[in-house]
Amino acid sequence: MKHRHILATLALGTMLAPVAALAQAYPDRPVTIIVPFAAGGPTDTVSRLVGEVMSRELGQQVLIQNVGGAGGTLGAGQAADAEADGYTLLIHHIGMSTAPTLYRNLPFDPLTDFTPIGLITEVPMTVIARKDFESASLADLVEKIKAEGEALTYGNAGIGAASHLCGMLLMEAVGAQMTTVPYQGTGPMMTDLLGGQIDLSCDQTTNTTNQILAGEIKAYAVTVPERLANLPDLPTTAEGGLPALEVSVWHGLYGPEGLPQEVVDRLQAALVAALADETVIQRFAELGTTPVSAEEATPAALTETLTSQIATWKPIIEAAGAFAN
Amino acid sequence: MDIFASLGLGFATALEPMNILYCFIGVLLGTLVGVLPGIGPTATIAMLLPITFSLSPVGALIMLAGIYYGAQYGGSTTAILINLPGESSSAVTAIDGYQMARKGRAGPALATAALGSFFAGSVATLLLAFFAPPLARAALSFGPPEYFALIVLGLLVSIALAHGSILKALAMIVLGLLLGMVGQDIYTGTPRFTFGFRELFSGLNFVSVAVGVFGVAEILRNLESEKNREVMVKKVTNLWLTRDDFRRITAPVLRGTALGSVLGILPGGGHILSAFASYSAEKRLSKTPQEFGKGAIEGVAGPESANNAAAQTSFIPLLTLGIPAHPVMALMVGAFILQGITPGPNVINDEPALFWGIIASMWIGNLLLVLLNLPLIGLWVKMLTIPYRVLFPAIVIFACIGCYSINNNIFDVYGIVFFGLLGYVLIRLGCEPAPLLLGFVLGPLLEEHFRRAMIISRGDFSVFVTRPISAVLLALALGVVILALLPSLRRKRAEVFVEED
Amino acid sequence: MAARIVRDDLIAGGIFVLLGSYFALEALNYPLGTPFRMGPGFMPVALGGVLVALGLAILLKSLRGGENVDQHAPPWRAIVLISGAVVFFGLTIRGLGLVPTVFITVAITALASRMNNILAALIIALGMTVLCTLVFAVGLRVTVPLFGPWLRF
Repeated sequence: MKHRHILATLALGTMLAPVAALAQAYPDRPVTIIVPFAAGGPTDTVSRLVGEVMSRELGQQVLIQNVGGAGGTLGAGQAADAEADGYTLLIHHIGMSTAPTLYRNLPFDPLTDFTPIGLITEVPMTVIARKDFESASLADLVEKIKAEGEALTYGNAGIGAASHLCGMLLMEAVGAQMTTVPYQGTGPMMTDLLGGQIDLSCDQTTNTTNQILAGEIKAYAVTVPERLANLPDLPTTAEGGLPALEVSVWHGLYGPEGLPQEVVDRLQAALVAALADETVIQRFAELGTTPVSAEEATPAALTETLTSQIATWKPIIEAAGAFAN
Repeated sequence: MDIFASLGLGFATALEPMNILYCFIGVLLGTLVGVLPGIGPTATIAMLLPITFSLSPVGALIMLAGIYYGAQYGGSTTAILINLPGESSSAVTAIDGYQMARKGRAGPALATAALGSFFAGSVATLLLAFFAPPLARAALSFGPPEYFALIVLGLLVSIALAHGSILKALAMIVLGLLLGMVGQDIYTGTPRFTFGFRELFSGLNFVSVAVGVFGVAEILRNLESEKNREVMVKKVTNLWLTRDDFRRITAPVLRGTALGSVLGILPGGGHILSAFASYSAEKRLSKTPQEFGKGAIEGVAGPESANNAAAQTSFIPLLTLGIPAHPVMALMVGAFILQGITPGPNVINDEPALFWGIIASMWIGNLLLVLLNLPLIGLWVKMLTIPYRVLFPAIVIFACIGCYSINNNIFDVYGIVFFGLLGYVLIRLGCEPAPLLLGFVLGPLLEEHFRRAMIISRGDFSVFVTRPISAVLLALALGVVILALLPSLRRKRAEVFVEED
Repeated sequence: MAARIVRDDLIAGGIFVLLGSYFALEALNYPLGTPFRMGPGFMPVALGGVLVALGLAILLKSLRGGENVDQHAPPWRAIVLISGAVVFFGLTIRGLGLVPTVFITVAITALASRMNNILAALIIALGMTVLCTLVFAVGLRVTVPLFGPWLRF
């Protein structure tokens, strides 16, 4: 076993000491997954749920390290710079595909500076408003946005956040601009929406389901093609007459560029096992999402999603004129 | 379900032997990790979060809440003993607590912190039990203009933090505000004052600023002449409060509890102001304000109570609305979700045993905390008898590791050096570090709320005076300024404030 | 009261003027925006200006004279050694790992006190290395390796 790995390593011409050391028994020490957002957020939650099961599968502790800041690019950059030994990984969401357009001086390339491992989940989003907002349906809402435009305020959780992307897409689909109010994270944004300080937003079900069920905020539509099990009365954007507004927050697991194949295989197997875990499935369901199938939890599927999403978001972001340097 | 039945359910849950044990373990671990220099409640919870994963939801959350108060108290302990606050609230405790320790009164300072915290925690827990939902609603009427006005008021009132020159204190606040703006602008994403380093995009770390301007600067001051220090440590006298101390702390504890309870409910930054506001209030109401900054026990009692009351009531927006008021609460949200409970308006109805169990356990946690810590005071004070030449390298290395392990960002470590030197120079020149720290934590909030208020009002400045709460707060702020500028009062101020040490 | 220039205030005022100017001038490179949509430059320019004004006020007041406070000489040895030790920690914690970095950092720091000789510094460093390893690596399981990648092989 040991010999085969070392031979394989030599055959690849990789003489790097760490790789040879690691080929003996990966993983032989705790694995760190960088989450480029603050602890407690939806991406953090997804990562911790998956990380816990992966840790059982790998027989090593999986530590979640929150490196927030710069719309997720700081943590992603740190992961890109880390040694490609499989001990530093990254879980990032849809922001990975929008960063190249949003950030003009991005120090990494999402397509070439990472080794994709697999998709994890796609979280649907909901179009929401303060609870006393007048519009009765999505169609009404579209009319109102067209009529009042910048008199309406749309809150988002910061540059590059899912709520920012959904907002751009919504305004493009409707064909009118609202006044965007950025916040630092979902928490403060939700506070002001609950308090009626702002009119509208659009955020992941992770953050909104509970508030919608409690009647604290109004929901107009869910941004995926099918209705959700735990919000069965909420129409989809297509049913509501706005099919162009289709977006979900997909999450992927990456390693730094040049991760050895056997490490990728080991991690991908652990990921697939985590996504089939009862608790993970149940917790994901409570968050309004499901794990992707085993076929999608693969490097190929992640690469494909990433490539196509970069192409999708580029014109939308450029049209909105949003840049974060 | 009426409130007493609910509380009964809560205590039934919290008093289960296993839950008491979890609560105790949480308080103990929180205290032990929190006393490590440079490690405050946020870092403690982040580090200890994983150990709660395997517990039941109620057990896990009770333990986490315990870790939180424990860490908060542990942070105050280091602030008092070695002038190293781990979180913004304990920065205020450091001002007079450390001076008390220097005078050999570390014991009474720690006891005051423990008793004040316990009292405040108990009252705030009751408040939480009886009025959580309506209070959370009321807090929602605070929008960006109100928060901006509140922060302006807080900044102006806090000039009282200084015991030297008022001009220098103002300059330190403004410098702090500016330092707080280092990093990426949240509205446009523009990086500011980062010299192109991405490590600075998310701003300077509070802990490196605090460890630098308080801890390292103080070490350098002490190393100026090493003989003085050894003498002062020998003077450690009684560990317990005198009758006179009790008399002096009663009113500050009551006022601090009230102030902290109210401010803690506001999710947009109220809890940060609580300790600072209480300190300012005590100094203004005191008959002997010249003692503040030199070891006034009121300066420990008020802020510590305010701080702990706010720590409790900041659970209100979380438990009733699912809104995290600060980073610690955000971590708690994560912990809830991992346990399969999404915090939100439904928790109180869907999970009554959990909701009331947590509230009951908060009181039990505070009780355990005080029972655990009063006997420990003797031990902590003993730490001061460690020769300084051994103690200060320990402080430096713990601060480095603690600071680094928060974000694994080496710039946070370099920040210690930068702020240590800046702090040392400025303190030598008669400026004080506490106002700088206040400005630093409030700077980003001030700008964020101001700009957001302007966006929502579409550029109309009158929003600050047409909204009643904001207008009242700004009127109060104006009153503070006028009071400070009144000529008759100025002479009195001159005696009080422009007295150099 | 002797009408001497207050040296400390003069320097403090100067430092505030310098820092304020830096922030204000640097912030002028960022968009100022409009009242409706304020740019990233607005607040720092305004506050930088306020800091310069406060610094000038402190400066002017110092010229009017007052008492100078006598102070000890700055502990140059401690300043250099402690700054150096912390920077060393930052530079090597990832590469050397916890154990060697802590040992060397503490040894350098301890020498900042004139009451510690080399032997004492080494003893303190040894003790702190054991303590930190127990607290952070064994107890809290921080993600820093005990011996870093520079020391493998």
